[in-house]
Amino acid sequence: MFGLENITNNDGWAMAVVGASIVFMGLVVLSFVISQIHRLLNLWEDREKVISRFKQKPAAVKAPEKAEIVYGDQRLPSVEQLINAYKPLIEKLQEPFKLSQLFEIAKNNDMPHPHLSIQRLQEADVLVAQGDGTFTWNESIE
Amino acid sequence: MLDLLFQFLANTGYYLADYRNYIMLVVGCIFLYLGTAKKYEPLLLVPIGFGILVGNIPFFKGFGIGIYEPNSVLHYLYFGVTSGVYPSIVFMGLGAMTDFSSLLAQPKLMLLGAAAQMGIYFTLLGALFFGFAPKEAASIAIIGGADGPTSIFLTAKLAPHLIGPIAIAAYSYMALIPVIQPPIMRLLTTKKERLIKMPPSRTVSKKELLIFPIAGVLLCCFLAPTALPLLGMLFLGNFLKECGVVNRLANTAQSAIIDTATIFLGFTVGCSTQADVFLTPKSLGIFFLGAVAFSIATASGVIFAKIMNMFLKNKINPLLGAAGVSAVPGSAREVHLMGLKEDPTNFLLMHGMACNSSGVIGSAICAGILWSFFI
Repeated sequence: MFGLENITNNDGWAMAVVGASIVFMGLVVLSFVISQIHRLLNLWEDREKVISRFKQKPAAVKAPEKAEIVYGDQRLPSVEQLINAYKPLIEKLQEPFKLSQLFEIAKNNDMPHPHLSIQRLQEADVLVAQGDGTFTWNESIE
Repeated sequence: MLDLLFQFLANTGYYLADYRNYIMLVVGCIFLYLGTAKKYEPLLLVPIGFGILVGNIPFFKGFGIGIYEPNSVLHYLYFGVTSGVYPSIVFMGLGAMTDFSSLLAQPKLMLLGAAAQMGIYFTLLGALFFGFAPKEAASIAIIGGADGPTSIFLTAKLAPHLIGPIAIAAYSYMALIPVIQPPIMRLLTTKKERLIKMPPSRTVSKKELLIFPIAGVLLCCFLAPTALPLLGMLFLGNFLKECGVVNRLANTAQSAIIDTATIFLGFTVGCSTQADVFLTPKSLGIFFLGAVAFSIATASGVIFAKIMNMFLKNKINPLLGAAGVSAVPGSAREVHLMGLKEDPTNFLLMHGMACNSSGVIGSAICAGILWSFFI
């Protein structure tokens, strides 16, 4: 038997279509799997980071409030230290002075965190507001 | 005394030879010439060529000499072919020699290896069209995979009487890659496409290389368990190489073992081309269909790469599609050379090897699928 009849009688069409589909599907699956191997390996190698990230997540939500306080407390000098550092600068200014003048002179003298430091001195009543936008140095707190 | 002399002379090859033996002896000499002088696949063509010479020396039947005679030495050696032992061993050695890192770096190139297998299924239809029996048609079609051991393995299972012509056709076309593939590649691609540069591959970690043979054997052999003798051994060889703790075994697999199997495989396949068995109209049909299979496989790889380019942002050089046939490393080398001819700074060898190695896996799966259709 020859020709298309031989192909049809021996399931040639089905064998060709099914065979081609299976080999294609097999290699597509294999290529997908091997394309993911390095990602899975990276994930496995960083598993401790990933696990710790999941574990720390609830704490991280509460953290911001505390973090600000902790940052301020740990990094900024105490009020006493700030008074000692800023007293020489105040002596250069004429009282009453504006906070912008104090900020400027603190910045020029490379004082760390001038904004936070001035705010702290204000909160500790070392810098006393005169009500017209100017401030004076409270000598009594020293 | 004269009677004894005449009796002896009547048993000599000179007396018993007919024109078909001489034709095959010439074919054997051509194989030896191509292998030694032209250096076309010498590791295969030299043992096959010499086997053709040995197999076509006429002898008096019944002495237990010929490869098809029970209890002959050649018959015992040939058992490794008919049982599928040699192809499996060759696959183990191949696995131990293959570096899959280029494939792991660019898994999308595996699709080109799949596309190039389409030649097998077109040829299956062609062989049936020309009147071959289904099992014979499947054995002929696998030539399109361009993989000698796979062709021999499947033919041994489905149509053992055709091992000689199919093996000779498969290995001949593998040796003729520099002649067959370039015109097809040029015909199906534009100069602009041939100039497409492939980006350098990423570095592949040792762990990836170690996991690949395990993932490969599990995925492929669950899909086509009949491919186990080939793919099981291929991935075993590769795991021996990559695990790094059995270097002695890996070195032996990629040298002494594969060399021994190749010698016996080539030599006995050559011997099996005895003129009375080999020179038949069927053999001519097999050679014709084999050429068709190989050409369609090359073309379908190239065309599929062009289709992929329609959807990809980073274009693939379509020449790589021709390396989807599993002729390692011949077709990858041919792709590389053609790429270099167009642009001396375009190096496609490693990308071609990725397609090549996926072609090896693909053709072994195809063999398993075709075998399973007839179980």
